[in-house]
Amino acid sequence: MASLTLDKVRKAFGPVEVLKEINLAIDDGEFLVLVGPSGCGKSTLLNLIAGLESATDGEIRIGDRVINDVHPKDRNIAMVFQSYALYPNMTVRKNITFGLEIRGVSNQERDKAVADVAKLLQIEALLDRKPSQLSGGQRQRVAMGRALVRDPDIFLFDEPLSNLDAKLRVDMRTEIKKLHQRLGSTIVYVTHDQIEAMTLASRIAVMKDGILQQFDTPQNIYERPNNMFVAGFIGSPSMNFINATLSEDNGKLAVTIPRDGDPIVLPLFEAPESYHGYVGKDVVFGIRPEALTHKRTGSDEPGSQYVNFESKVEVIEPTGADTMTVIEIAGKEIVARVRPDRQPTPGESMTFSADMSQISLFDPDTELRI
Amino acid sequence: MADIQTYSHDAGWKHTVLRGLLYLVLILFAAYYLFPLIVMIATSLKSLDEIREGSLISLPRVVTFDAWNYAWNEACVGVECTGIKIYFWNSVKMAIPAVLISTFLGAINGYALTKWRFKGANIVFALLLFGCFIPFQVVLLPMSQVLGKLGLASSTPGLVLVHVVYGLCFTTLFFRNYYVSIPDELVKAATIDGAGFFTIFWRIILPISTPIIVVSVIWQFTQIWNDFLFGASFASGDNAPMTVALNNIVNTTTGVKQYNVDMAAALLTGLPTLLVYVLAGKYFVRGLTAGSVKG
Repeated sequence: MASLTLDKVRKAFGPVEVLKEINLAIDDGEFLVLVGPSGCGKSTLLNLIAGLESATDGEIRIGDRVINDVHPKDRNIAMVFQSYALYPNMTVRKNITFGLEIRGVSNQERDKAVADVAKLLQIEALLDRKPSQLSGGQRQRVAMGRALVRDPDIFLFDEPLSNLDAKLRVDMRTEIKKLHQRLGSTIVYVTHDQIEAMTLASRIAVMKDGILQQFDTPQNIYERPNNMFVAGFIGSPSMNFINATLSEDNGKLAVTIPRDGDPIVLPLFEAPESYHGYVGKDVVFGIRPEALTHKRTGSDEPGSQYVNFESKVEVIEPTGADTMTVIEIAGKEIVARVRPDRQPTPGESMTFSADMSQISLFDPDTELRI
Repeated sequence: MADIQTYSHDAGWKHTVLRGLLYLVLILFAAYYLFPLIVMIATSLKSLDEIREGSLISLPRVVTFDAWNYAWNEACVGVECTGIKIYFWNSVKMAIPAVLISTFLGAINGYALTKWRFKGANIVFALLLFGCFIPFQVVLLPMSQVLGKLGLASSTPGLVLVHVVYGLCFTTLFFRNYYVSIPDELVKAATIDGAGFFTIFWRIILPISTPIIVVSVIWQFTQIWNDFLFGASFASGDNAPMTVALNNIVNTTTGVKQYNVDMAAALLTGLPTLLVYVLAGKYFVRGLTAGSVKG
């Protein structure tokens, strides 16, 4: 186990730059998730750490050791692949011990290591089968066993769950989390699924077009996204973006949303220093569906973080736990998350409460957080 | 079922007639292709007297293997009357190493071209592919010069070299197309596990290549065993392969033309490839599609 540092890492394939100055550092035992849409460079970054590709520029360190020019086998890493990449001609046992065998570990030690890992992953009954005789979930376990058996400094996971069906994916997610808690190992995990990122990570790196958008804890990324891309990518259903202006009334800042008839005026609950430069200017008002609900108790009291406004309901989408309520403001569809017992009927007007303590404002030009 | 049955009477009648026609055509074609073989076998089992008296297509009245025995042990190839058997062994000594070496090299080439994509891999592959289209006749003279300089002229090793060089293009193509369909992650996983180029090849890639190895072996064996031009050009006399010997048997008979011996010798020459197809034909079709469809 060890820490991992990426210092100004760049990667270019010919003239095409796929990674632009990535700086990341995680401590021993952290669970780093690289997340982003396909083609954002997250898998390339993982391959750089693994040593399957070499960085064009910058430095990669495991612990204090610079590993840019170290062969993958000497980096003391283990990797789990999306397709599992089990050796089809070998039994599960052979698959797991192949790496040890190449490294010249004795028969006895290999047997013991396999037994330990098989017990940990509950695959003891499968050891003498071939990969073709296993189900998807079992293959996944074997692939993890192959990584675990080596007891590496860093585990690398390349979208390990995306080939599983939905239910199994959730189960395996929990299991990976448990495994991490139990072993306390350093993990770098690539996924395009933001829920996986949120649930697993101790820190998330959101990437897009080869640029690191934000690197922070899941909660910070969720609550204080750096820019509109991160805000929209993390969270489901995703954050509502509404074009608005920032106005000042009696020394109090408010977001004004123009619409047919009276505009919606939402006084801000908190007003950091950075907001003041935007008074009178256009901003993008970002609010998550769960911060936009039916009328809350106490929302009429002065000084409340909740602000009420009326709107017509367009569509409702019940999910069981909550009902996603679509309203239209200034020609944009906005999703609010309403409790089922307060669920409106489409077409009727309803009072909504916006939780102004959980909003984000973005610059409409740079798309950066204000 | 009910829907189908309402008009099944009419359709059933038509169906039967069409089926009948189809089978008739197929049987005619099969007979057309099999007929020469039947004549060859029948003739090879007749005595010379019977051939002279009977018609070409009649079956032998008395089955005798004398002609086969004679062709194998006593037939005159040129001036030597030792039968075709020594040439059979010549062919074996040429074909087996040539098939094995070209298949093995093709496998390594295919593996390197797909899983270790070095700079210019595509150009190398294109050049190799180009080799498939060069006619044999073009290289006869330069090849004989090369063999002469290497001291391999008129020898079996020389022939092996020629066939390996020529077969390489095809075997590389086969293996390359097959390996393209094998996920790269397998090689990456093995790399991280600590295996190098050859360890991965021996331990992981080769064991899952059985279908394409069978294809390559059948293809190469057929090509090399049946080759006449290279055999006639680069090996002579005692080193000639079976195809060349067969030609000599058929052409050098003086006096009475021994049709039954000619036929037996021809069948003996064709037998090994026939055998390979019967034993491994199933894999041949399977492997060809496995390589081509996914590749």
